[in-house]
Amino acid sequence: MQFIVYLLLLGVILILQTTVLETITIAGIKPDLVMLLVVLSGFLLGPKEGAFLGFFGGIVEDLFTGNYIGLNALSKMAAGYLAGVAGERLYRENIPVATIVTFFTSLAGLTVNYLLLLYLDIYVSPLYALFRVAIPDAAYTAVLAPFFFWRIFRYVQIRSRDF
Amino acid sequence: MRWVTAKRLFLLVVLVAVTLAAMHFSVPERTGLSSLESKFRDVLAPVQTGLTWAGRQGRYLVSLPVSMVGTAARSQALEQEVERLQSENIQLNEYLIENQRLSALLDYKNVMVNNYNFMVASVISRDPGNWFGTVTLNRGSSDGVIVNMSVLTPDGLVGRVIAVSASTCEVLLITDPRSGVGSLVQDTRTPGIIEGVAGRSGIARMIHIPNNAPVEAGQAVVTSGQGSVFPKGIPIGIIRNIQNEPSGLFLSAEIYPFADFNNIEEVLIVIFVQPKADTPLVGG
Repeated sequence: MQFIVYLLLLGVILILQTTVLETITIAGIKPDLVMLLVVLSGFLLGPKEGAFLGFFGGIVEDLFTGNYIGLNALSKMAAGYLAGVAGERLYRENIPVATIVTFFTSLAGLTVNYLLLLYLDIYVSPLYALFRVAIPDAAYTAVLAPFFFWRIFRYVQIRSRDF
Repeated sequence: MRWVTAKRLFLLVVLVAVTLAAMHFSVPERTGLSSLESKFRDVLAPVQTGLTWAGRQGRYLVSLPVSMVGTAARSQALEQEVERLQSENIQLNEYLIENQRLSALLDYKNVMVNNYNFMVASVISRDPGNWFGTVTLNRGSSDGVIVNMSVLTPDGLVGRVIAVSASTCEVLLITDPRSGVGSLVQDTRTPGIIEGVAGRSGIARMIHIPNNAPVEAGQAVVTSGQGSVFPKGIPIGIIRNIQNEPSGLFLSAEIYPFADFNNIEEVLIVIFVQPKADTPLVGG
């Protein structure tokens, strides 16, 4: 059941990501809501769950676009895992901590994404990749973390109480 | 290392290896979409069209009160601007009449009107990430769209069609790092290749410009029509910064495209190029 909810949520997020989110771009950059969901879930649930949700969310995104199946799966798996590791070591019930973790783990995921682009022979200048894509993308995604953190936190609490 | 850890590590390595292989096999070199992909896109298209429209209306509503601030001052400035533009318009009409006379004398034809047929299309969605620059249009194979058709706005070149379903098509923007366009500096006819920098950066680079070429900032760049799928003479952008390439044999330049890639809503698909008597239809 939770799996279906997660899948539906990803579907809705991806449709929003390709349509409505275009209207809130800053300097052409839009936030990555799939990354936000993966990172916050990983931060609250742990590295194993974070990696799994990241891989699954990424593969759905790849199938949605139809190109380079696995590109987002691997990068979001890395981000979800790192967020989980951070969650085990840091105080979880704190929005500033979650925001900072979102920024750095998103940045790590985008770095993996960049390396995979090189593996696919798609060259993006490192300076452009860092300053025009990765840092603005991670920052914009992190800025949205406070708006979603408590919702995901409550959902995780309810879920853990049920089991 | 414990057996369980080794087993997990082995499974992770297998998963990563399989994913890396899948990534290579799903490189979008193919010209068509699978039947499932095509149907999925066609079903999704009306939803995306509706949401994109709703998003634009929402942005308009939110920005309206902000735009009312300082309206009086802006109105005065606009009146002055209108007067200046009217004067400029009269001057431009003079140039236009002169141009038409000279064109008739030289038996030139108006290339944009006589050589191309266009189809208007709306952008219904974009790539979900920030690395690539692709947009989906509301025109597909049922409208006569095929792969490699050029896409423009009245300002300049946008990109080319890379995948088509019955009612939608996907366009690779010239700012996408996978894009390459044969180009010329308009004034000096210096050749080069325009390649994308990053999908959402809104800029591109012109590379392989000969080292001794008379290239400077502010010059316009157009499509060369050679070695590419784009018709000749379509405006691309303006040269800004010029640098030496690491090899030392060539120059490269930053290009600011004429088309505003972050705000494109409607575009023109070139559906027919009238062949000229002495030149091929389009570049190879």
